[in-house]
Amino acid sequence: MSFREKSAWITFVMLLGFGIYFAEVWDHFLHPTDPHTSHLPLFILLVVAVVIIEIVTHTIMGIRSPLEAKAPLDERERLIALRATRPAFFVLIVGAFLSVGTMHLGANTWVLAHCVLLAIWIAELTRFGTQIYYYRRGS
Amino acid sequence: MNVSPGAEIRNNIRRLRFEKAEMTQQALAERVGVTRQTVNAIELGKYSPSLEVAFRIAAVFAKPLEDVFQYRERPRARADSGWVD
Repeated sequence: MSFREKSAWITFVMLLGFGIYFAEVWDHFLHPTDPHTSHLPLFILLVVAVVIIEIVTHTIMGIRSPLEAKAPLDERERLIALRATRPAFFVLIVGAFLSVGTMHLGANTWVLAHCVLLAIWIAELTRFGTQIYYYRRGS
Repeated sequence: MNVSPGAEIRNNIRRLRFEKAEMTQQALAERVGVTRQTVNAIELGKYSPSLEVAFRIAAVFAKPLEDVFQYRERPRARADSGWVD
């Protein structure tokens, strides 16, 4: 497995961790016990954890294969990155429009903001998932 | 790069590597400037390289491009295959 593919796998798994945040937000949306509940601490905690784990894992990978880590993307890897961007962008655009749609259903800015965040999250999962698919396929 | 459905690009990289003192995919990749996985994908016909990389591979083996890569059109479906235009 190449350095880039490992990197894509790590980022994909790390992104999945944000599912915890959206599960919490969804639960709060369905059962709003305390209107002043803030999910910001959990979000910050997840961002910090993801950044630290990404740095540590990429540093370890870089030490184990320094040449691959330093090498720029080759043409196949650039193509894979580009191919993965297309479906991710589509997901993001659809998500953005649906988020705007929630305003017409009477949703407040809190819901709108989380819908946009959700769209970004799914788009990023799509991007890295597609990259992994093409790396696995070999093309 | 994708090859059109009616065509395929074959290559002799594996044989040429063997003839060149059993050169490894990694060694070829380093000389061409791509990753080992990309050389593997090209060798297996899963990825068609750019002209630049194709020429660089040919240069490593000191062969003309046609000796390394071959472009072949697949036979088209016959006009009388039952489809109506």
